[in-house]
Amino acid sequence: MSLPADDDTPGPAIPLARWADRQLEALARDFGLPRLSGATLLGERAAHGDYRIAGRISAGLGGSRLMPTRDGNWFALTLIREIDRELLPALFGDAGLDVHDSTAIAASVLRGNGAELLERGRMLGLPVALLDEIPASPPVEVIARGPRRERTAQHRPLVIDMSAIWAGPLAGHLLWQAGMDVVKVESRTRPDLIRRDDPATFDLINQGKASVLVDFASDSEKALLVDLIRRADVVIESARPRALLHLGIDAEALVREVPGLVWLSVTGHGARGEAANWVGIGNDCGVAGGLSRALADVTGEPGYVGDAIADPLTGITGAREALKALRGGEAQRIGLSMSAITAMALAEELAFDAALLEAELRGWGAGLGRRFPALERRAMQAPVRALGADTAHYLPALASC
Amino acid sequence: MKPGTRLKSATCDTEVMVIRCADGTIECGGAPMGEAKPAEPAPLAADFSAGTLMGKRYVDADGKYELLCVKPGKGSLSVDGVALVTKDAKPLPASD
Repeated sequence: MSLPADDDTPGPAIPLARWADRQLEALARDFGLPRLSGATLLGERAAHGDYRIAGRISAGLGGSRLMPTRDGNWFALTLIREIDRELLPALFGDAGLDVHDSTAIAASVLRGNGAELLERGRMLGLPVALLDEIPASPPVEVIARGPRRERTAQHRPLVIDMSAIWAGPLAGHLLWQAGMDVVKVESRTRPDLIRRDDPATFDLINQGKASVLVDFASDSEKALLVDLIRRADVVIESARPRALLHLGIDAEALVREVPGLVWLSVTGHGARGEAANWVGIGNDCGVAGGLSRALADVTGEPGYVGDAIADPLTGITGAREALKALRGGEAQRIGLSMSAITAMALAEELAFDAALLEAELRGWGAGLGRRFPALERRAMQAPVRALGADTAHYLPALASC
Repeated sequence: MKPGTRLKSATCDTEVMVIRCADGTIECGGAPMGEAKPAEPAPLAADFSAGTLMGKRYVDADGKYELLCVKPGKGSLSVDGVALVTKDAKPLPASD
């Protein structure tokens, strides 16, 4: 597969950008957010990063690949962490595999059965998906409820955003756009990787948020963070349930206890049951949500649609659910499944205008090698706080010791 | 034994997937693990009863063995009587 690199005209619209735009229109109408564009939120990382449509390889860094299996299926595998490559011999049952050779990996996939690779990959904690997959969880699921809290119109909600990379931080960004006080909490030893990897996108979706650093190895600092959460209106996190409990944070107990606390758990494939342990990230979750299947149905060729599309779709959905829950007043833990949210957006867009969506998918398929749609960079509305600049303000006991 | 093989504990609920191995005997709770579960459970040895944790990767000092816990249990893992230890915690998965 060669990419015609000489076509520099802006590429076709991202399918589902119109779905995103309708959600943003409703957020502006119902909750007073400024009117943001769906094409912008789905495409800004790729447009500013100069990404090209790369078919069976994910756009940008190319960390995710779609590969055919022996039984005629297609297997998506995302390899962006070195520690995940060490698991590949177990995935393929081949001790001799060169885990850095993408041709050898594709050959192993071609010898495998899609459903078996999926099951084993999920068990190993690898971000994997199948072209023909039905998401295991609902897109949005309330998994715990707690007491109500009445808020006055003057109350400015406090949001504790512990999430990383794109989906969760975008939800936090939209809540900031709605006028909330958003505090981004990061680990002292492991800040959000997107700071380093894509500072321009980091700045756009984290502008105006306070920045707090917590040492998760320190019991006293974790206790201060839990105190802060007890004062909050919204929490956003994207950790696996086991990791969260390991950090001493019991989401369900807090939701049952703190009146009106709205807790968003951003996950690849669901926040409950076995699927809560599966790892999923933006590109493979788009595949698991059926978007690459939809592309193949129209064009005959499977490929990635958009750039980590499940992330911005989930960020927008998460903000909407948090705003609805805050208005209702009841404490809730809301599980968001990135794969199922992609499937939901696809189904809704098909119902909205199937012919238009089909034309866009066809255009996307024909756009192989072209740039993502050009976008004007959003003007920054607030400064980006220096890492940890607000720790003393939000965790005051830490300042005195 | 091939990487990817699933082994069950004879003493508890633990199940692991083999990531890397050599010719030694992989044990849990002090008894050899196997692809099938024995009809009668073996007794849990007191020295190997610290338990296994779901999703943790266990290694030996030489890096010859690595096991992923896919089902937790009361026993702890060893190879030829030498206890395995957990590998450094994997970074929290990001949403992308």
